[in-house]
Amino acid sequence: MMTKLKIPIGPHHPLLKEPISFLLTVEGERVLESSMRLGYVHRGIERLCQERTYVQAVHLIERICGICSHVHSTTYCHAVETLLGLEVPLRAHYIRALLCELERIHSHLLWLGVLAKNIGLDTVFMYTWRDREIVLDIMEDLSGGRVSHAINVIGGVKIDLDHKMMDIIIEKLEELAPKLTIALGLFENEPTVRLRTQSIGVITKEEAARHCVVGPIARASGVDIDVRRDIPRPPYDGLEFNVITHTAGDVWARTLVRIRETRESHRLIQQIVSQLPSGDIVVKAKRRVPPGEVVCRFEAPRGELFYYIRSDGSNQPARIKIRTPTLPALSTLPEQLRDVNLADAPVILSGVDLCIACADR
Amino acid sequence: MDITPDVIKSLFNLLIFPGFTFLLFCSWVFDWLDRKIIARFQGRVGPPWYQPVADFIKLLGKEDVMPTGSQTFVALLLPVISLASVLTAGLYVPVAGYAALSFEGDFIVVLFLLGIPTLAYFLAGWVSVGVYSILGGNRSLLQYFSYEVPFLLALSGPAIMGGSWQIGRIVSVQNTSGWFLFFQPLGFVLALIGLIGKLKRDPLDIPKAKSEILAGPLTEFTGRKLALWHMTINMQTVVGIFLLVNLFLGNAQALHDIFGVLMFTVQVLIIVSLLSTASSLFARLRIDQLAEFGWKILVPLSLVQLAFIILMGV
Repeated sequence: MMTKLKIPIGPHHPLLKEPISFLLTVEGERVLESSMRLGYVHRGIERLCQERTYVQAVHLIERICGICSHVHSTTYCHAVETLLGLEVPLRAHYIRALLCELERIHSHLLWLGVLAKNIGLDTVFMYTWRDREIVLDIMEDLSGGRVSHAINVIGGVKIDLDHKMMDIIIEKLEELAPKLTIALGLFENEPTVRLRTQSIGVITKEEAARHCVVGPIARASGVDIDVRRDIPRPPYDGLEFNVITHTAGDVWARTLVRIRETRESHRLIQQIVSQLPSGDIVVKAKRRVPPGEVVCRFEAPRGELFYYIRSDGSNQPARIKIRTPTLPALSTLPEQLRDVNLADAPVILSGVDLCIACADR
Repeated sequence: MDITPDVIKSLFNLLIFPGFTFLLFCSWVFDWLDRKIIARFQGRVGPPWYQPVADFIKLLGKEDVMPTGSQTFVALLLPVISLASVLTAGLYVPVAGYAALSFEGDFIVVLFLLGIPTLAYFLAGWVSVGVYSILGGNRSLLQYFSYEVPFLLALSGPAIMGGSWQIGRIVSVQNTSGWFLFFQPLGFVLALIGLIGKLKRDPLDIPKAKSEILAGPLTEFTGRKLALWHMTINMQTVVGIFLLVNLFLGNAQALHDIFGVLMFTVQVLIIVSLLSTASSLFARLRIDQLAEFGWKILVPLSLVQLAFIILMGV
């Protein structure tokens, strides 16, 4: 008879990059059950937005997340523009999408490094985080910020692309392409990686549907959803890309899906830069938003990002509700962390790619 | 007691060469090399040469605390005992053909002494009450049972070929027959894997897997005790590498032969870089995967190697 131990993981733990707390009940090396505690980075952003004007809220929204900051402000601006009935120039849509795709590459590479680190493959961690710098450099050249770009305003974008910048983007991403191929080959073939990730943290197609899981996790379980394709909107309706799916549903499948998505994002960026339409990048928006409510969805790196905004006709939003893709991923964890090996717990936790700052807001 | 040349020689052996000072120096050099090589593999610059010394001095100056309820005295005793056994083992392992002590059967004594730190490591987990420590201690014992058998089987290959349990004689046999590496390459690889398991290095750092159980049994250790542990493990690395070189790449040239010393240094450095390469190439195994790997693959392979040696004809 082995004694049961309670193992705390978090709020501070080498495995976690953001504060969240798990308490695993362990017997020997087996995890019997787990409990979770959230809210360490709750900042009350939704409420704070309601006390500010629509224009001020853009900057606050951008600080929800440190990885996918741009897609947050894009979704918010798009929602407000819909309420205002603004016709945003096509060029602004393209520039927004360009940053969204750069952010996707950045987020996926970051995640890949974290997973590699958690299975003890520090070399790959160092490599992916080094390669991620290429994308961060592009972002810095483009907007001046590596993480927060402050490029979105209601009615368009603030920063325009010139030909020199376009060449830099294409050139730097060409550097990245062979490195992605190496990473893909490594995760497909390296035996110790497959030992640690295959058939770990399996989410079946039914479970994925039941938990409303979105993004790469859902796609790795065979659920074919992607807001970029499902809601045709400029510029994605004019671009050609594949929605990557896999059927295995384990951490390994999620890894492959994410690496292949990174390559698709690379293709998308090439198309965006070559097809960039000319014209204005911003139109003037009214301060006061007509009454009404709107729901807006965008594809963040981790999946569908959902914004609900209600306006009462003033210059301040009456209600903002944000649902981030991490929420359904969190809800799968109690099931995934039942009756598994303790050594697999880090793989499962990193496999769902939690963004705690997004989830807590 | 009179100070005779014998006493002076013994003291020199114990304290300077191949005893404490030499092993400590080697452990720092190997530690630095290891970190530097891994850093270069990972596209980093790596630490400056004095980093291991600086780390050691820094740890000595740190506060020494243990959690309430832990057995502080035992916790202090454990690294001291392991360090003593590693140092004793170091006296019997020839360095470039020079061993301080030697007798028929010293090989077995060295293997036994090198096993003590593992046991102490396990106990360190138990006396320091933390949950991560206890789990890490359990894992280190489980790991011991997985790698030790193939490790010992692989090491007994050279002993059988050399026809002796004395390391010095195994080395001198290779002077006439050639390196045992050529006769049992499989045994060498198995011994290397066993050494990685023994030293708990990547990718077999299961008892101290950072993303799972922090630092394993040493989680609660701080300050001087932790410094002692690091010193012990680094010296264990040195002695283990010397042992492997002697058994598989033995050359009995005496110390005064510059060529022999150079040869020994090169061989040792090659093994250090092999270990570093292994730690930067592979993902960490799970403890059940290691047990399976050990008993289903390593043990049969080492038996094949042994059968090959015996049948090839001694």
